[in-house]
Amino acid sequence: MVKEERRIYYLFSPFLRIFHWIMAVSILVMFVSGLLITKPVYINALEPTYTLFLVDVTRSVHFLAAFVFCASLILRVYGYIINRGDRLFPRVLEGHFYSETVDVALHYMLLKKSHAPFLRNPLARMSYAGLYVMAAIEIVTGFAMYNMADPNTIGGFLFGWVNTVLGGEYMTHVVHHYCAWGIMLFVIGHIYMAIRADFMEGEGEISSMFNGTKLLEHEPKDACEVEPPKTK
Amino acid sequence: MEKRETMLESYLRRGLSRRTFIKGCVALTTMMGLSTDMVSKVVEAAEKKPLPVVIWLHGHECTGCDESFIRSGAPLASDLVLTNIALEYDHLLSAGSGEPFEHHLEETVKKYWGQYILAVEGAVSTTDNGTFCMSGGKPFVETLQRVAKGAAAIIAYGTCATDGGIQGAKPNPTGSAGIKHYTGTKPIINVPGCPPIPEVMTGVVMHVALFGKIPPLDSEGRPKQFYGNRIHDTCYRRPFFDAGMFADSYDDEGAKKGWCLYKLGCRGPETYNSCGNLRWYQGMSYPIQSGAACIGCSNAHFWDEGPMFARLPEYGPLGDIDKIGAGLAVATAAGVAVHAAASVVQKQQRDKDKENGKEQVGNK
Amino acid sequence: MKHVVVDPVTRIEGHLRVEMQVDEASGKVTDSISSGTAWRGLELILHDRDPRDAWAYIQRICGVCTTAHALACVRAVEDALGIKIPKNGNYIRNIMAASLTVQDHIVHFYHLHALDWVSPVAALSANPEATANLQNAVLKTYKLPFSGPAGTVTEAFRKEVPRATPSYFKGIQDKVKAIVESGQLGIFSAQWWDHPDYNLLPPEVHLMAVAHYVEMLDKQRELVTPHVVFGGKNPHPHYVVGGMPCSISMDDGNSPINTARLDIVDRAVNLARTLVNEYYLPDLLAIGHIYVQKGMTDGGGLAKERVMAFGQFPLETTSTTQDGTFFKNLLIRSNGVVENFGQGVMKAKFTEITGDDLKNPEVFGEAVTHAWYEYEGKDGDAQPRHPWEGQTKAKYTGPKVGTPTDWKELNEKGKYSWLKTPLWHMKMCEVGPLAHYIIIYTKAKQGLLPDMTWAEKMMVDQIEAVSKVLGLAPEVWLPTMVGRTAARALDCQLNAEVEKFFFDKLIENIKSGDTQVASMDKWDPSTWPKRAVGVGLYEAPRGGLSHWITIENGKISNYQCVVPTTWNACPRDDKAGHGAYELAMMDTKVKIADKPLEIVKVIRSFDPCMACATHLFNEKGEKINVVTTDPYGGMHVDA
Repeated sequence: MVKEERRIYYLFSPFLRIFHWIMAVSILVMFVSGLLITKPVYINALEPTYTLFLVDVTRSVHFLAAFVFCASLILRVYGYIINRGDRLFPRVLEGHFYSETVDVALHYMLLKKSHAPFLRNPLARMSYAGLYVMAAIEIVTGFAMYNMADPNTIGGFLFGWVNTVLGGEYMTHVVHHYCAWGIMLFVIGHIYMAIRADFMEGEGEISSMFNGTKLLEHEPKDACEVEPPKTK
Repeated sequence: MEKRETMLESYLRRGLSRRTFIKGCVALTTMMGLSTDMVSKVVEAAEKKPLPVVIWLHGHECTGCDESFIRSGAPLASDLVLTNIALEYDHLLSAGSGEPFEHHLEETVKKYWGQYILAVEGAVSTTDNGTFCMSGGKPFVETLQRVAKGAAAIIAYGTCATDGGIQGAKPNPTGSAGIKHYTGTKPIINVPGCPPIPEVMTGVVMHVALFGKIPPLDSEGRPKQFYGNRIHDTCYRRPFFDAGMFADSYDDEGAKKGWCLYKLGCRGPETYNSCGNLRWYQGMSYPIQSGAACIGCSNAHFWDEGPMFARLPEYGPLGDIDKIGAGLAVATAAGVAVHAAASVVQKQQRDKDKENGKEQVGNK
Repeated sequence: MKHVVVDPVTRIEGHLRVEMQVDEASGKVTDSISSGTAWRGLELILHDRDPRDAWAYIQRICGVCTTAHALACVRAVEDALGIKIPKNGNYIRNIMAASLTVQDHIVHFYHLHALDWVSPVAALSANPEATANLQNAVLKTYKLPFSGPAGTVTEAFRKEVPRATPSYFKGIQDKVKAIVESGQLGIFSAQWWDHPDYNLLPPEVHLMAVAHYVEMLDKQRELVTPHVVFGGKNPHPHYVVGGMPCSISMDDGNSPINTARLDIVDRAVNLARTLVNEYYLPDLLAIGHIYVQKGMTDGGGLAKERVMAFGQFPLETTSTTQDGTFFKNLLIRSNGVVENFGQGVMKAKFTEITGDDLKNPEVFGEAVTHAWYEYEGKDGDAQPRHPWEGQTKAKYTGPKVGTPTDWKELNEKGKYSWLKTPLWHMKMCEVGPLAHYIIIYTKAKQGLLPDMTWAEKMMVDQIEAVSKVLGLAPEVWLPTMVGRTAARALDCQLNAEVEKFFFDKLIENIKSGDTQVASMDKWDPSTWPKRAVGVGLYEAPRGGLSHWITIENGKISNYQCVVPTTWNACPRDDKAGHGAYELAMMDTKVKIADKPLEIVKVIRSFDPCMACATHLFNEKGEKINVVTTDPYGGMHVDA
């Protein structure tokens, strides 16, 4: 084996990292509890006021996870403000972004042996943008359903329009549910790609979500977006 | 015949005091957006003002809304149409027909221009210049537009009038839609339902008759007092939902015990209506109480949100979205596994190349 | 000769236009047109939807005979899938059907029809005291004391009897006076109140009838509480394929049906019997008697020549209808056609309708020579087609005088209605309660009804009792405008008893321990055949109704309805002649051509339901697979 020289890049603030793991847990919780709300499993309940496993407990868990998710999103936004490394939007305004995306995609399609080094590769950035869109849809539709228990409240005022725009609350349910599956498909892909990147490049993809740093052998193309690296 | 009963006379005849009448006028002033020093003028005008005039037009409909209207328990239909309002034009109850009746419509529109309430039942059909719905030898859409111009307010009765209803369901062969697209900027009170609850229908008219103004409306133009809650949130079976006690099919043990119908596709969780609190026939029942899942008949597009007996839409052989979602997840996982295997091969190849000194990274 | 148009005809369901040529000298109507003027396309909308949902969609054809189309629909689906519904489900459906008929007939007579006979303006000159006396006399003379099999009596005394005091009638009169003097006539606006026909009745009859108009406006709602209890609401109660959704349990406080709920139904049944016997029948016979005495026995038209019905009330359910077992299991076996009843009951000819008949191209066909459709192929419009070869291609031709969006006169020589013309053996038929009664009476008198059921016996007794009151033979008074309206009242009395009969059966069956209301073993589409066809029959308040369904791969591939009003209101056929509405108009004398009160009266004696009857085509005028709301138009099962 050739001894590799690697440089340490500091990328992710604690805010992003904390948010990431809270988000991971709450998405999982919301997905499972959401499925249980749509299709409650049969529980041999004896009477409505005393049962071991209540649908309204499932709902409370779902709502709790949703509030935790939204609260931690605020941390994520704070990280975005203070730390350049947290800014993960795809650089769609820059021409080279597209050629780089093609480059990475060709590698992932196994048509190229490797792709150019990135701190955050453009395809991943795009998928994160997709995730954030889906998360936004889930938040908006979720609060629309949650708050319309009383349309006269501020919550009802802020989110009630969603039902009108979608053509009715039934569609809100449907969109919320479909989008949840979309997020699940992202999760599978995301976990795999992270593990694979660690395996293929050894750049500390997974550990970066704990310590905030990545180890790169070559100068990444987006190095200018973060603080200069330290040598190991 | 030409003598018109004034609003004051009408109040007195109904045993209400002049004081009440003045109060009504104050409310009326506010409704018309006038300042309070105009009250005396309004009183003066109202002393010459007759009963609220209602013109009821029929488009593409089934007359179920008319029928629901006369099922009202309070106010009773007779009290409403003989004492509280003057129902001058209605295809179901009006005595007249033919040319004299159409003439009476035109006269009423002229005489009470800007004052009458227009109630509309049924959707507007516009395909082929509206010739799918002709009445009086003319397309309904023309009559609607003409009469709407002079209305003080418009009531859209039933989901057909609010959103097109059954004939507006896919593929909507007659090009039917709700009336709101054809009535300009006139204020519309939307009273959806298929049909709406009788006391909700009469309640809207009574609100105008009693309070002299249209009831408070939500963002979709529905009276808040009748459409402010979801059926699910007001359903007497809600405790069974919370406890996870469900009917799994019609007439099973759960159905007999009156448990929640959520699993039978009940649309209560998505439907805003008074079924849970007012109920039908003054508290006698509503579909859920009679064991039938709600079909969400006050929702704008409920006819195209089927199948009605399932919680979510169904597609093809797999059925609902959860099966399709699980299928996609499995397919993705399988794809991942294949890709992983290929990646391992690629990595070994790359490592071999590296050892052979043919180091090459990316485009460099 | 004067051309008279009435459009819209009000106090009906939907949009109807009639036109006629009146000879002003003799008052004779020499030609007439009946035109359905709106089309909604519900069967097209049903295409590709789940058959288990179909009842909800198709029920919205009509909100007046609400439940009728839902019932025919679930029966069609159950026939296609071979589902046998439980006894309780059948009894409950029959109770709902009968309570619909009672309520529908009462609303029709008092609120849709009465103002053609009586006038609130004429009521003003009545003496309240004389009216009270008249009320007592009417109740004494015109009650018909018939009832069904004696069941459990649950009512101590009749509660809703007419009030016969001068002060009561004075109160009503004062109210009417206030309305008339206010100048805001409201619902009483724009009628031909000065028409001489309103002078046929004395002012006291007018006042009594107006009082009952108002009473029934408030009471009719209580007649349909069985729909609210069993189906959750009315109009448009809920059903379920396989039975009823309202589970029965005497062990659970939260069950949809328990004793307290059944007591609501019991109360409605008692009320129905009271209102029919104390108000409807006496009022109708009193008015009808005066009309007949004054020689008003016109307006019969097609009823004298040919009437048709499908039969009513399955006693127990069977899993199939299309093989004819439905007909063998009826409380009222009126399935068939009676011709020439006008010539006397013994000269009339009865022909039975069997399950095979419905599918036979030689028995049923439909013509479009005067409907806004065209047939392609070598025969063109000339040849009526059986639905299996049927085609629905729109051909809107507009009116004879006027523009397509502003009609003056429709074209009687060309096309003029959205209704097709259904034919039985190439002939026109009238349907409705009158047909129902003529058929049962003819069958009974000709000895074609062995082992008569109590209901059939009651129908014959009713006709004979009325004949005695009127002093006329059935073949004289039945096929007339008055007879058509009277038959509806008799049907109402019969249906109130049918309600009681099936309510007692329901109680008996629950007592025996059977609480099942729905059979769900064929709910899952995996238990269905790849392709199935079904038919659902129901003798609706306006006559014989049938729905036809084709299910393929779990979805509806073809749906169509055979609707009573299409039989009655259809346009003419060049070979078969005029339909029931047109013939009835031509069999009616018009006193003042500008005020054709007699015409709207005879039209309303049919209880028109236009939304049920109008046809279907697609907007480009292309052939569509799911077709027609008319009889047999969409019976073809090729998709």
